[in-house]
Amino acid sequence: CEENLEKPLLGSLTAGTFPQSESDAILAVNGVYNSLRVWNIHTGGFPLLDIMSDQMIKGSNPGDGTAIAPYDNFSHTATEGSGDRWYKTLYQAIRRANLVINEVPNAEIVMDEELRVRIVAEARFLRGYFYSQLVQGFGAVPLVLVTDPALDLTKTSAEEIFNQVIYPDLLHAAEFLPEKSEYSADEAGRATKGAAKALLARLYLFNGDFVNAEKYALEVIASAQYELEPNFADAFSYDHEFGVESIFEIGALPFPFDQGGNQYGNTMGIRGTPNRGWGFGRPAYPWILMMQANNDPRMDASIIFLGEVLDGVETGGDASTPDTTRVDGDIVEIEVYNQKIWHPGPGTNESFGHNKRIIRYADVLLMAAEALNENNKPAEALVYLNEVRERARGGNAGILPDITVTDQAGLRLAIENERNYELAFEGLRFWDLVRTNRAETVLGPLGFVKDKNELFPIPQSEVDISEGRISQNKGY
Amino acid sequence: QDFKISGTLLDSETKEALIGATIIEKGTTNGTVTDLEGNYQLMVSGSEAVLVFTYLGYSSKEVRVNNQSVINASLDIDFSELEEVVVMGYGSVRKSDLTGAVASVKGEDLLKVPNASPVQALQGKVSGLQVLSPSGDPGATPVVRLRGVTTLNNNNPLFVVDGVIIEKGVSDNSGSGTPLDFLNANDIESVEVLKDASATAIFGSRGSNGVIIITTKRGAQGAPRINFNAELGWQVVANKIDLMNGKEFGQYVNDIDLTEPGPYNVDQLSSTDWQDEIYNDYAPIQSYSFSFGGASEKVDYYFGLGYFGQEGILPKSGLERITTKINTNYEIAKNLDIGLSLSVALKEKQNSPGVVNTALRAWPIDAPYTTDPATGEQIFAEVQGGGNALAAIEYTNNVNKSIESVGNVFAQYAFLDGFSVKSSLQFSLGMSKNKSFTPEYFVAPLQQNETSDISQSYNDNSFVLWENTISYVKEIGVHRFNTVAGYTTQRVKSEFLSGSAQNLLRDGESFWYIDASDGDPLLQDVSNNASHSAIQSYLFRFNYSLMNKYLFTATYRRDGSSKFGPNNRYGVFPSLALGWNLSEEAFFPEVSFLGNVKLRASWGIVGNDKISYDAQFPQIDQSFGAVFGQNEQYVAGAAYATGGNPNLKWEETEQFDVGLNFDMFNGRLVSEMDYYVKTTNDILVNLEPIGYTGLGAFQQIVYNVASVENKGFEFSLNWQDDIGNFNYKLGFLGSTVKNTVLELGQDIGVDSLIVAGDLGNGQQVSRTAVGQPIGFFYGYDAIGVFQTQQQVDATPHLFGQTVGDLIYRDANEDGILDGDDRIMLGNSIPGLVYGFNTEVGYKGFRVGLDFQGQTGVDIYNGKQAVRFSLLNYETRFLDHWTPSNPSNENFRAVSGGTNYTPSNYFIEDGSYLRLRTVTLSYSFQQAVLNSVGAQSLKVYVRGTNLFTKTQFSGYSPDLGASSALDGVIDRGVYPITKVYSVGLNLTF
Repeated sequence: CEENLEKPLLGSLTAGTFPQSESDAILAVNGVYNSLRVWNIHTGGFPLLDIMSDQMIKGSNPGDGTAIAPYDNFSHTATEGSGDRWYKTLYQAIRRANLVINEVPNAEIVMDEELRVRIVAEARFLRGYFYSQLVQGFGAVPLVLVTDPALDLTKTSAEEIFNQVIYPDLLHAAEFLPEKSEYSADEAGRATKGAAKALLARLYLFNGDFVNAEKYALEVIASAQYELEPNFADAFSYDHEFGVESIFEIGALPFPFDQGGNQYGNTMGIRGTPNRGWGFGRPAYPWILMMQANNDPRMDASIIFLGEVLDGVETGGDASTPDTTRVDGDIVEIEVYNQKIWHPGPGTNESFGHNKRIIRYADVLLMAAEALNENNKPAEALVYLNEVRERARGGNAGILPDITVTDQAGLRLAIENERNYELAFEGLRFWDLVRTNRAETVLGPLGFVKDKNELFPIPQSEVDISEGRISQNKGY
Repeated sequence: QDFKISGTLLDSETKEALIGATIIEKGTTNGTVTDLEGNYQLMVSGSEAVLVFTYLGYSSKEVRVNNQSVINASLDIDFSELEEVVVMGYGSVRKSDLTGAVASVKGEDLLKVPNASPVQALQGKVSGLQVLSPSGDPGATPVVRLRGVTTLNNNNPLFVVDGVIIEKGVSDNSGSGTPLDFLNANDIESVEVLKDASATAIFGSRGSNGVIIITTKRGAQGAPRINFNAELGWQVVANKIDLMNGKEFGQYVNDIDLTEPGPYNVDQLSSTDWQDEIYNDYAPIQSYSFSFGGASEKVDYYFGLGYFGQEGILPKSGLERITTKINTNYEIAKNLDIGLSLSVALKEKQNSPGVVNTALRAWPIDAPYTTDPATGEQIFAEVQGGGNALAAIEYTNNVNKSIESVGNVFAQYAFLDGFSVKSSLQFSLGMSKNKSFTPEYFVAPLQQNETSDISQSYNDNSFVLWENTISYVKEIGVHRFNTVAGYTTQRVKSEFLSGSAQNLLRDGESFWYIDASDGDPLLQDVSNNASHSAIQSYLFRFNYSLMNKYLFTATYRRDGSSKFGPNNRYGVFPSLALGWNLSEEAFFPEVSFLGNVKLRASWGIVGNDKISYDAQFPQIDQSFGAVFGQNEQYVAGAAYATGGNPNLKWEETEQFDVGLNFDMFNGRLVSEMDYYVKTTNDILVNLEPIGYTGLGAFQQIVYNVASVENKGFEFSLNWQDDIGNFNYKLGFLGSTVKNTVLELGQDIGVDSLIVAGDLGNGQQVSRTAVGQPIGFFYGYDAIGVFQTQQQVDATPHLFGQTVGDLIYRDANEDGILDGDDRIMLGNSIPGLVYGFNTEVGYKGFRVGLDFQGQTGVDIYNGKQAVRFSLLNYETRFLDHWTPSNPSNENFRAVSGGTNYTPSNYFIEDGSYLRLRTVTLSYSFQQAVLNSVGAQSLKVYVRGTNLFTKTQFSGYSPDLGASSALDGVIDRGVYPITKVYSVGLNLTF
């Protein structure tokens, strides 16, 4: 009789019975990569870091996504949903990685040993990446290294998480992962030695460890695995996905999420004509003016203007919002879109096919330049900085002359500016300003409050559920 | 002092002896029974004693002794008493012996509302029962709530049709809505609504939301009866939403942009009424049914056949249904009966194109058609504000077909004296398929389909229940026993398979198959899943009546459910009830106007297991793939999917009920009243665990943590009388409810605040929290409109607010306006639900009116509060703030923004009073009928939903919440309709 009441799951596994084999281990690590395409992993679905910088405004129309608007002027609180979704989705990704890291080494799983080592290293790279996002975004957070954590955890400091998890994970990945060239063509997109080192450089820079930042940036450069795309626009174009400049990017297909799509591009895609998305995260007008003043060709490659024709499609934009917004007669906003997420093709689904570039070689060059400058090696720094500028110039000798300044502060600012031009709308500007302590100066007029807005608030529900054991961040 | 009385008791008509009839001295336990000749002897206490003669199926009679020593009496068959049997689960009980709160509705009352679901007609008929029709879509399921909102998850009552438990749609495993549309109301004999724990506990784990028992018609003794019914109706939209016309819209848009002149010259604007464009007038409803029934000594039989067809007022929506019914019993040997109840229904539902909001949002200055400059043909025009609704209708093709079969085969054997055993096999089997096809088309950049696509899905559901019961029904002197015990076992399984593809060879219907697609594997999708569950139960009920005065009922049920892990698999559900027929007491004053009076009290615990079978299991799914490769390929991946909780256990609802039944003025006034307190504990509720556990955003696990109280008062009063040739009836009923959440998982590491009520744009307006009713509205308190910049500067306001915007109250008075100033704004669980009805007859004519309504309920006007872009406006905004029109009520002209933040500006009073039906009928006189050989012929005209008195601005305030956590939000619904119908009933 009792047996009649045993009704197991149909069509899926019960947690605890997975992974058990080599094919399970592959599935499990692919499941961690899957997190990279989850909409909420991109700062809660919306390009908040760009909106919170001086490069982008909220976008879409005033009635749409009103919960995003507070981030544009730093009036967001602990109850806005985006931060909440980002935080929870990062932990979801970390849990998937923890499953691989804790279970795949188990000798009961019979599998190719080389593959086992690689899979664990991939998972550790991804865990390091997700934890770095979490700590950069929220500061001290609970440290979870198992799949079923206790319910009474408290916060662990950001420094401790870097030292206990992020650096060791990435160092392990840098040691055991193959180089990009060692993967077969159909494995492009998996984590590489270069990706781990580039991410290490980025995080050492974030923490002001310029010696290690220089070391890993230069190791990536010396690996000869990467070079700049000759044409700036190809650094994020469809034709050059997994191209020579790509160090780590998220593979995506022009379909809904469960068929391989990534809604990151769709969220920023053109609203209206052609219908490519929601139109959040519009490039800010002051950034456009600055680029125009420099005659920087990267502006046109980074921005879709109304009337512009791309791959045969003319951009009409959103008919229900003004093309130009003026305050007291002065233009403050024009309707434009982010071209870096453009994906060619006929339909609405296309914007799901954009491969988001997490790290590209131009960033590594600029990181190397920055670290070298901080380590008092301005001459070497200028080499890498000007390599980026040369490519941007596109052969036009009349623009973007080589930087020659060698005093540390001047060069520091030149590098910061170059990152602003080169890496716009790639989610980096806000962290650059925070880590260089320049956020108050640059973003203060937009509402940034020092010693508060460097971090997102811990989601209020997390504070409430833990009854305050997980305390709120300062100022929120 | 003792008096000896003797005599004989006969049937008043046949003059046959009544054997085993009871004779009791009134007010005592002293009594005896008649022998085989109908004779009795009894010692009574005195010459003034009163004898009460009772016999099952006969009217009882009281005779004063008055010094007589021989008292012969004859009893009349009591036809009303015969009807006063109330069907309970697993048996029936005499109404006078009933201790529970049970309401009965006759089948004929279900015929008054032209709708596919017989449940619709229960609206306003049963106190404590709330039936809401959120949509006028043909075949839409009503929302049914009994005695408030019992739980945070599924609140649908349990339906039992001829003993078959129907937990969800027979062919639809979504579990939402009420599942009775396989039944033709013409085949229904009666409906009993079981409300208190005494009545529902026999259903144990499934009874906590109340139980609605449906009994279908069976053949009656005598010549075969043939019945034919036909009804034809015409539907029109009951009321339209007041929207701006072209000129008004143009002026409003001009006002958004305060620079002169605005974008529009309003005098030159054309105007399209998009509601007129999409709704059909006089969409027909047809219903025909035929039945044939009778009985001979050893067989009774009933056959029913019905057709129901309804076209929606929206083109391409509709329902067609054929129902069949077979009910039969055979006495195959002495004391051994076998029987069958079987319903089979075929349904075809055309799913309505979702264009109501499209029409409400469309710019009225845009016309539906234009001329193609290339061909000169008329084509669909681009319509701003959400698209061209007529084009959306044209390109939508979505049809559901299903077959549903519900049956019960049983054998029953009676033995000894009063015992019987019954074994029955019950099943409900349903299969449905859905097909949807969209051609390739282009209307506008935002309204196009780049490739044609087809999707198909198949669903099959089976429910099999085997029940074995033994019952003992016996009257011994003054003692009457009605007992049943049983063992039942149930299995439920459903499976779903779907596929989709794109790029069909041709658009014609003969190509709507996946094989007609281009076969591109990247554009094809297949999905298949299944669920299963089982329940095993032991049940027992003991109903005892002493001297017709003292009534006692005890029930016990033990259920084991596969939905719970081994630790908490079984639940025990007991109930106790007492009844006291006060008017049977000797001391009861013999006042002429007061008849029967009964007091009832009951207590019990009933359960709920309405969760998914897999809620106990944390899952790993292989649907989390990644994309790798220079030539990008989707590669499978697996990861944690839904979380699970292996410690789940039964949700338990404890209910106290006290009730009073009385009749007055020789039965002309009949009344029933109840007060109840119902507390549901260990509610199975989906909550988000603490985020770092890594379940993901919006991912919830089921926990047994919440607790909700509902308490309320219910009454019904019915009066009927004749004055000469006039006869008339008046009925009035109502129920109050107070709903409070007592606990919501505080201190267990979950989010103890449930935020729900998403408007569709990410704004969530409803909350559930301790101390408040489930699903209350939450937001800012709008208290006026900013008139001057100085006022804005001096008042706490949201970022970007300016002159002409709503002033939100700084509720916590901290000088800053932020999220902490949001407050409870309203509640959509109505304080009072009521109905009243009247019927007046004169000779063959009869007029009946049914009213129903509710008060104390709020509705969030979600369709008005969502603005994705510049959309048409409701006329409320005509009187908006401008510098020259300093309105303190309606904010300035805007296309969106902070004024659309959730606030009480968008909350409306959902109280209403509706004339649900009015019927005028004429029954032909016998003389006329005899000439054609008919027994009865009635013709009628009827109006449904003709009149609604309400302040609510939407299509209908009669909106239900599909999830109680959302509260009642008008997100834009398929409007309800007024129906004008004519019909006839003919019986041979």
